[in-house]
Amino acid sequence: MSTLESTAVIFSDLKAAREVEEKVLCEVAACGYSEASCFAIKLAIEESLNNAIRHGNGYDSNKRVRVGCQIDPQRVCIIVADEGDGFDPASVPDPTANENLEKPHGRGIMLMQAYMDEVHFNKKGNEVRLIKRNN
Amino acid sequence: MAKYETSLKLDIRQDGPVAVVHLAGSAGMNEAESMRIELEGLASSKVPMIILDLSDLGFICSLGLGAIISGHLRCRHHKGQIRLVNPQPAVRKLLETTRLTKLFPIYATVEQATLQCD
Repeated sequence: MSTLESTAVIFSDLKAAREVEEKVLCEVAACGYSEASCFAIKLAIEESLNNAIRHGNGYDSNKRVRVGCQIDPQRVCIIVADEGDGFDPASVPDPTANENLEKPHGRGIMLMQAYMDEVHFNKKGNEVRLIKRNN
Repeated sequence: MAKYETSLKLDIRQDGPVAVVHLAGSAGMNEAESMRIELEGLASSKVPMIILDLSDLGFICSLGLGAIISGHLRCRHHKGQIRLVNPQPAVRKLLETTRLTKLFPIYATVEQATLQCD
């Protein structure tokens, strides 16, 4: 099976994000990834899109989110980029620390890192590259 | 591969001091806000115990977890409590990864969670 490459550009809207997510997950499923991997990829896409729309673009309907994918039976690579000012991922407090457990927010990056094989942010912090291998 | 639901159904049944909320489907980025509103609203009614039956919840993201925590914080205003019941393995793993199992006791059944209501 050859590699599927696609790019989608959406406005800062969670409904549009869900449509992109569903398309990606269909392709991932067709490549024979396990249920656990599919759960991980779904989680990482949701966290990255939510971060991009909510925190990156601040729900600004004029700002867009770009989602790039490379999917094949060996590896899934997803890139999510927003038009915000970016941030320093290292500055996000550890949500698993006792003092942060009751905070309703701040778990997205940790979950991406826990469930994907690789998570890379660009220097500005407005683009994340997520990789999951089909083990 | 599992076909994930993309909607969330909340069924709330209140019996005396206990409200049982059966969650079915997906608590993803599109559903978490309505879930937060429902749980905060229920907690604001000052019911002492909210039991979340997670047995039919196939997916939850950080916003869904945040909705449960928001309900928990609202419950604490009146010394109430949220308990979780029978999460599916993937959801249980997520609760463990985030260490939210330290905040929320997990019970095997609604009956067990209810019986141990003091």
